[in-house]
Amino acid sequence: MKQATALLLALLASAPSWGQWRFEAAMDVAGPVKAFHHLSASGRKSLAVSGQHIALTWEDDHTGTPRCYLALKGPSNPVFVTRELGEGECYDPAITALDAGHFAAIWEDTRGVKAARVDASSIGQALRLAESGGHGSLAFHPASGLWAAWSQPDGRWRRIQLARIDLDHAVPRLLATQPADPQPVTDDQTYPILTRNAEGLTLAWEDRRPGHTVIYGNRLDAGAWHAPFRISQNPTGKAQGTDLGRGTGAMRPSLAAYGDNNLAAVWLDKRDFLSGYDVYAALSNDGGKTFGKNQKAQDSFGDTYAQWHASAAGNSKGDLVIAWDDDRDGTSDIWLTWLMPNGFAENIAPAVAAGPDSQTDPVLALDETGNLHLAWIERNAEGLSRIRYVIGTKAQ
Amino acid sequence: MPIKLHHILLSLALLMPATVLADPPSGYNFTDFNNGFARAKAENKPVMVYFGRYGCAWCDHVNRKTFSDPELKKLYNENYVLVYVDAEGGKRIRLPSGERLTEAEYGTRLGAFATPLFVYLAADGQQVAKIPGFKTVDDF
Repeated sequence: MKQATALLLALLASAPSWGQWRFEAAMDVAGPVKAFHHLSASGRKSLAVSGQHIALTWEDDHTGTPRCYLALKGPSNPVFVTRELGEGECYDPAITALDAGHFAAIWEDTRGVKAARVDASSIGQALRLAESGGHGSLAFHPASGLWAAWSQPDGRWRRIQLARIDLDHAVPRLLATQPADPQPVTDDQTYPILTRNAEGLTLAWEDRRPGHTVIYGNRLDAGAWHAPFRISQNPTGKAQGTDLGRGTGAMRPSLAAYGDNNLAAVWLDKRDFLSGYDVYAALSNDGGKTFGKNQKAQDSFGDTYAQWHASAAGNSKGDLVIAWDDDRDGTSDIWLTWLMPNGFAENIAPAVAAGPDSQTDPVLALDETGNLHLAWIERNAEGLSRIRYVIGTKAQ
Repeated sequence: MPIKLHHILLSLALLMPATVLADPPSGYNFTDFNNGFARAKAENKPVMVYFGRYGCAWCDHVNRKTFSDPELKKLYNENYVLVYVDAEGGKRIRLPSGERLTEAEYGTRLGAFATPLFVYLAADGQQVAKIPGFKTVDDF
């Protein structure tokens, strides 16, 4: 008996994943309502922190039509204040932090792809980036300025476009546009994600040029975009020992900068095709010039379950956290891992974002003090849906 | 002999889309989700959704081995509204529940873990069966 107790105590002591994060009580940002909420920004950048202000974007159809919403919370506000973005049907709103308390948002509505500067007091005049397209993403670097990326039709394919934009003035301006890859497009390019790093900006997107879906990347430094390169190493070619197929799938990239000059590209990967998508990551320690070997970010307990909605966040302290949803515990819960010196931590499902209802679609941001800001969709069996938000801190 | 060879080459060329692209099998009246459900409602026909992934080897296999069967082709073309969904696609569809979401997100609602996945639905959108993986002509 003594031995069993000692073993139990030893096991508890050696399970550092539990208890490393402490979460406050979650709050509702939207709902509960019988509607469909979507946290579906390209790169899953629906949540951003600027100074002590938090911004969250989503789409829902509680009015009967899918529309985009922006919720902001300042340090003196106990709740989020919500406003509408876009005109008519609106989809996939994304947000990025600018200077203290200010943000820029991008979305797709009935008149095209648009971006605007937003803060607690106003939504600036929208700049139309394209007449059609979607999957918008934004990132700001003090030396490079504010850049937008989106996917737009180009002949029979979709192509990633980049634009440097200026939203600081009463009349926003489109300063320059270019494709993410100057080579002629040969298949679909979709779901771009831009992020800031120490030297400039990094871009990742889904690309089907090898006949299946892979992750490509590119970077901006010293004012120029470089040649695109492949990040995901999901196998291209026929399935082993057969003449079938063209390769496995890698989709919905997310990007996060952390530490001095590190980046993580995270995506859903089907190289193990029997158990759904897994969460994979590739790390860069040279500001996105090169990415290392692809590695599975989830732990082995999730291997026989499909993972969805992988999202990454980092901060300049060097923290990197990845979130997703899977139903390994019977119903869909939000799962987290984070980078430790020896690899990714054992996965945890914070109690605040787990349980019998369906918790899905996590989006997250890390502030400079190391607080984790997490939002997700919770839906119950009666069809009531709401967007939840919580702040978590990691024990040192 | 040259005519025969010409016919063989022409037949092979016609088969190319099915063998090169692991997408919908050729010779079937596949349409997209929104059109398919509008048709199913209008014609009161059941729907078979082929949930396939771009480049998927097992989709390629079922297309070549099973969907090449002429009897199966006739059976499915005549009795079902056939819908193809790209498992990684960003195209928006409207589910019978009223939710507007992307083709890939439909996979999360289906609990899809492998492709191909065949989903049989009544004209009103009610799910009847969900069958993953390679299947033979007899299975269908």
